[in-house]
Amino acid sequence: MAAKSKQGCLVCQIVGNNIPSKKIYEDDFVLAVLDVNGANPGHCFVIPKNHYPILEQVPDLEIGRLFQVSNRVSSAIFESLGAQGTNIFVANGTPAGQTVAHFTINVIPRKENDGINLQWQPRQLSEEEMSTIELKLRDQAKNIGDFKREEKKPKIAAEKQASISEEEEEYFSRQLRRLP
Amino acid sequence: MAEPMNEEQLKALQEKLRNMSPEELREFQKKQCIFCQIISGKIQAKKIYEDDKVVGILDINPANPGHTLLLTKEHYSIMPQVPDEDLSYISMVVKSMSNSMLRSIDAQGTNVLVANGIAAGQRAQHFMVHLIPRKENDGVDFVLPQRAMEQNDIDAIGNKLIAAMGGAAGKEEKPVSPVQAIPIQKVKAEVMKPVSPDKRIEPKKEAKPGINLDDISRLLGVK
Repeated sequence: MAAKSKQGCLVCQIVGNNIPSKKIYEDDFVLAVLDVNGANPGHCFVIPKNHYPILEQVPDLEIGRLFQVSNRVSSAIFESLGAQGTNIFVANGTPAGQTVAHFTINVIPRKENDGINLQWQPRQLSEEEMSTIELKLRDQAKNIGDFKREEKKPKIAAEKQASISEEEEEYFSRQLRRLP
Repeated sequence: MAEPMNEEQLKALQEKLRNMSPEELREFQKKQCIFCQIISGKIQAKKIYEDDKVVGILDINPANPGHTLLLTKEHYSIMPQVPDEDLSYISMVVKSMSNSMLRSIDAQGTNVLVANGIAAGQRAQHFMVHLIPRKENDGVDFVLPQRAMEQNDIDAIGNKLIAAMGGAAGKEEKPVSPVQAIPIQKVKAEVMKPVSPDKRIEPKKEAKPGINLDDISRLLGVK
């Protein structure tokens, strides 16, 4: 299957073998690659072969698969590298630390005192603030849909959902030029 | 907090645990698990999403307002125990919930984080996905160091991982056979479909109307 790639995207070039990489796993939709500049030795990134900049654009079929493969890479890290733990980490959007406009799941082997910090300073929110957020999110989460009811409905073409408009593509390519 | 156990009680408990079958052990862990009690409603929490398999609650020690924990209703201690089907399901909920954060609480991005093992920062014996709404300069600082690997290590570590994945990925003369790939039928893509426009809650007048994927992807932009 030829992946929908994006010119100028570093990750798409890895998918297309234009940039050499150490591939750990590959199937029709997903590629897992060893990060040679990783946070720890054995750090892998799991990517969709098709070009989607952010999580929200990855079709459900592919997102499920990406997490399954990430879990398998995590298990492989436990088994073969003797890691004490693993992190699955996604930075979705620039403010969240995303640096390349191609959705990526990081799978990171962990050992105690390895210098990686994925902790946070807990915020103290008032009861009122928590309740406001709760209502807003719960209200929006209604839009997620009735999973139970929709289970019986016929399949929907993942391709259709995945389509990225011309306008979006134009926008993304502008973003890509800004990247180092 | 419960009183710390004395030596005798501890011994008795260890003895009891040793004699348990895996099923009994899981049942025991479940009873001890605070998140299982939240799921069953015995302990109060701010639930923002719930279906047959998954519950989403607000973290009481959030990195940012809206920090959500997505939990499987079934008790799994760590991610490798979660069946493929459940994992792909929860990942679809993660995606939709991330979308909700961008739309409802003005998040400009999100972090998805799973910690497997204490060394990775796992604190509770119940598998969960952290979903953290992010804004520019919000003070949350997840920086992953970059450590360049030697070519020898790349080959050694890479080959170990390839072997553990059970395949020969990346060798062009020997492409990964579809048999080695995860059977695609396992992925339940049909359980979710995009919400049709008529089912969407109409945005309130003061809310920004008609936020779409274009707007959301624009959030990727720097300045």
